[in-house]
Amino acid sequence: MWTLPILLLVVTILLSIPLSRYFAIVMEGSLKVPGFLRWFERRLDSGPQDWKQYTVSLLIFNAMLFIFGFIVLCLQPIAPLNPLGRGILAPSTIFNTVISFMTNTNLQHYSGDQHLSNFSQIFFILPNMFLSASVGFCALTAIIRLFRGERLIGNYFVDMWRVAVYIYLPAALIIGVIFMHEGMPMTYDTQQTVTTLEPGSMGTDDHGQAKPQNIIVGPVAAVIPIKMLGTNGGGFYGMNSAHPLENPTAVSNFVTTFAMMIFPFTLVLMYGRMLQRVRHSVVIYTVMLTMMVGLIAWAVYWDTLSPNPAFTGTAQARDYQIGDASSPGGKHAIAVPAVGSLPVDQHLGNLEGKELRFGTSAGAVFAAITTDVTCGAVNAEHDSLNPIASISPFIGMWLNCVFGGKGVGMINLLLFLIVGVFLAGQMVGRSPEYLGRKVGAREMKLAMIALLVHPIMILGPAGLYAATDWGVKAESNPGAHGFSQIVYQYSSASANNGSAFDGLGVTYGFNNNPSPSPEAVPLDIGTGLVMLFSRYLPIIAPIAMAFYLGRKKMAPVSLGTMRDDTATFGFLLLGTIVIIGALLFLPVAALGPLAEHLGPIPFGG
Amino acid sequence: MRSVAKSLWLLLFAVILVCGIYPGVLWVIGQTLWPFQANGSIVNGPDGKPVGSLLVAQPFTKDEYFQPRPSAASYDGTASSSSALAVSNYALRDRVARAIGPIATYAAGPNKSKPVAPDVEAWFQADKFGGKPGIVAQWADAHNSLAQGWVTADATHGVYVDAWSKAHPDIVAQFVKDNPATPKPAASDLAVVFFEHYSKDHPGTFPGPVTHKDKAGKDVTEIAPVKTGSDIQSIFFDMWRQDHPSVALNDVPGDMVTTSGSGLDPHITVENAEFQLDRVAGKWAQDLKRNPEKVRQEIEAMIQSDAFSPGGGLFGEPIVNVLQLNLELRNRYGSPT
Repeated sequence: MWTLPILLLVVTILLSIPLSRYFAIVMEGSLKVPGFLRWFERRLDSGPQDWKQYTVSLLIFNAMLFIFGFIVLCLQPIAPLNPLGRGILAPSTIFNTVISFMTNTNLQHYSGDQHLSNFSQIFFILPNMFLSASVGFCALTAIIRLFRGERLIGNYFVDMWRVAVYIYLPAALIIGVIFMHEGMPMTYDTQQTVTTLEPGSMGTDDHGQAKPQNIIVGPVAAVIPIKMLGTNGGGFYGMNSAHPLENPTAVSNFVTTFAMMIFPFTLVLMYGRMLQRVRHSVVIYTVMLTMMVGLIAWAVYWDTLSPNPAFTGTAQARDYQIGDASSPGGKHAIAVPAVGSLPVDQHLGNLEGKELRFGTSAGAVFAAITTDVTCGAVNAEHDSLNPIASISPFIGMWLNCVFGGKGVGMINLLLFLIVGVFLAGQMVGRSPEYLGRKVGAREMKLAMIALLVHPIMILGPAGLYAATDWGVKAESNPGAHGFSQIVYQYSSASANNGSAFDGLGVTYGFNNNPSPSPEAVPLDIGTGLVMLFSRYLPIIAPIAMAFYLGRKKMAPVSLGTMRDDTATFGFLLLGTIVIIGALLFLPVAALGPLAEHLGPIPFGG
Repeated sequence: MRSVAKSLWLLLFAVILVCGIYPGVLWVIGQTLWPFQANGSIVNGPDGKPVGSLLVAQPFTKDEYFQPRPSAASYDGTASSSSALAVSNYALRDRVARAIGPIATYAAGPNKSKPVAPDVEAWFQADKFGGKPGIVAQWADAHNSLAQGWVTADATHGVYVDAWSKAHPDIVAQFVKDNPATPKPAASDLAVVFFEHYSKDHPGTFPGPVTHKDKAGKDVTEIAPVKTGSDIQSIFFDMWRQDHPSVALNDVPGDMVTTSGSGLDPHITVENAEFQLDRVAGKWAQDLKRNPEKVRQEIEAMIQSDAFSPGGGLFGEPIVNVLQLNLELRNRYGSPT
């Protein structure tokens, strides 16, 4: 039960320490690489850049990636490696998917096994996964260099090359070999057709012939390592890491989960090493770890150690009086009858939407971690989580800094940190400082812009869609849970996470699909725009903030300096995150998962 | 412009490396070292033809075989899917109750270990729920979408309701008056009204399939009121339970009635396999005309030798691969009759 999460955390922590040293060496440019790789670096190098040039390069490259992705997806019907003759996706779905993979979100408004050819998997998914994962990494590196007071912060394209080729590529190869050993397919074929052991068990066709079972295969073992390492999360198959060919065994599940945690863990320590403030980064690391342990424990307790309340009974009938001006007496009575339990053995917890081969608590553990590190892969159906357990993935996405995505999670934490030192400075009556530099009004403004994008992009669109047909008609579950589905979709989009409550009707499918989900187009466009804003604003604003902070003079350390490498500082940081997070998101949590948990189950007919 | 050029270079290098070399290297390693896994873990049947992937669940309907977990994807290996049913969605409880109804047994009392289904049918025929008459009408009122679902579930159901609405134009006219938004109601729109009247006209019955011979001697299936059968045992099990909340029943294994995340989970718990063992062994003994106890022991041994725990027991409880187990049964006992 608890062995899995404990082992995962221990292994990840132990490996993140040596890896952070390697990362720092790579990003300082002092890794000794063979001459031919140097040639690529020279080919890409456009000279040292200041923060503006670096940011502009980042944006231009992403624009190119957008165009590239759009072209590749449009080519699907005429490209090779498409024996099943898959057509072109709906335009709104292409728009959404291209943004989704460019921004490292991997929200999937399509199903990989139903809608993509192997050509698209290889030429669209793979480069996007490697490159988008490197973008956040580079942004963090730029911020570190700016904090060090450097004016010229290296070259964006060289940084991208180093991250993708010296870090991701070797790691993906190693993990890929493990995955193949465990049973993941690696072929350029598309489909295996088998007659079932009991002929006709799949039904019969119009001619009375037994239907075969068709099984989609492909270069799965190439996609999945980088899907996890890059915290991308976009599955080869529709059901992602729950699919037995995408996650064949308990071992592959362990490695899968480990692979999404390792780089976000390592980057925090790399931050400390490159700033030569390792103790400070250990404090940040501990704060993040504390939150992650809490969120994992919450999910496991409420989902694995608690039964699915759909089958348990409530022994007592309940009556509620609700104030209602239109009812006689100003009260509206609601009676919730007693419910008899169904005879289901639930000692393994909530099994709806869970796979058996990963281990008992694997679904809950994965749900918590995938949202903490903004990966967005899933190995269980989040829609069917016990409602109170689903608060854990919600919080992971709302805070977006419990390790977070590669680079961007650390950047998000820096925003909370700046607010934290500002608050602390106000309380003790000193001007706030970070890394020995005074935090001024301009830095605060930039930090607040970046910090507020996230809640605005979740609560605004979620409210709009929940109030209109755009969202209401897409809900697949009644009551508070339907609202949760919309909030989850926008939380996932804004956090660049990519997991989903899968029941929400977001799939248009192929362009010639006669009966798409009715509200797929507005959801494609809405979440697409949210992903775009929530990706780039929280990268650009912090880089600018780091520039303005970094060019200030270092104040000498004095008795009154607030130390940033102590437990006190850790509590300050944790308190800031919890208070700001709770203020922003507690109301919406009460309307969604909490209401579902406390309300009658089953709800309605 | 310089940035555009460099971006294109970076893209080009990335495409060569991660779309060409990287998957190519993995492909070579996979196809040489582990060709079985790399092509989808396909296993062959007794005749040497591929019968399935060890990693992908396939359906089994015969009693001689162990059955996998229910699938929200209908075991379609090209379209994995979960149920995505929320805990609070009645559809989830309904699906599970329907699965349990025909197999539920008493855990205590004079009928210990006997099936509940006959009592559900007797209670249904008495036609009283919560002290009020008209079980079917109450069911349709409480669960409109289930009533509509019944009408569309099968073509014969729709035909039956259409015939009824033709015979009762006055009721349809009243419906249109009450629901001006649907001036031309389809069969599913009328579902609730239909069941309300059906319940009055045919108390203690449910419209179910009845097969009889026509003039030419062919089997014809029609819908007619029935008093017993799997529809009543499954659809009305949950309501029976609400009338009998404190009767002790034997639990069925959780994984037997819940759908997996992918809809293709190839495993069941050993607990689930043991639960199915009586049925499977009994049927094989009947087919082979052998001692049931002996057959049971042989199959029990197969389950035990196939069972394994995730992560060598570190992460979870023992499970067993359904296709592997059934393949062993097939190889050992031949084709089921």
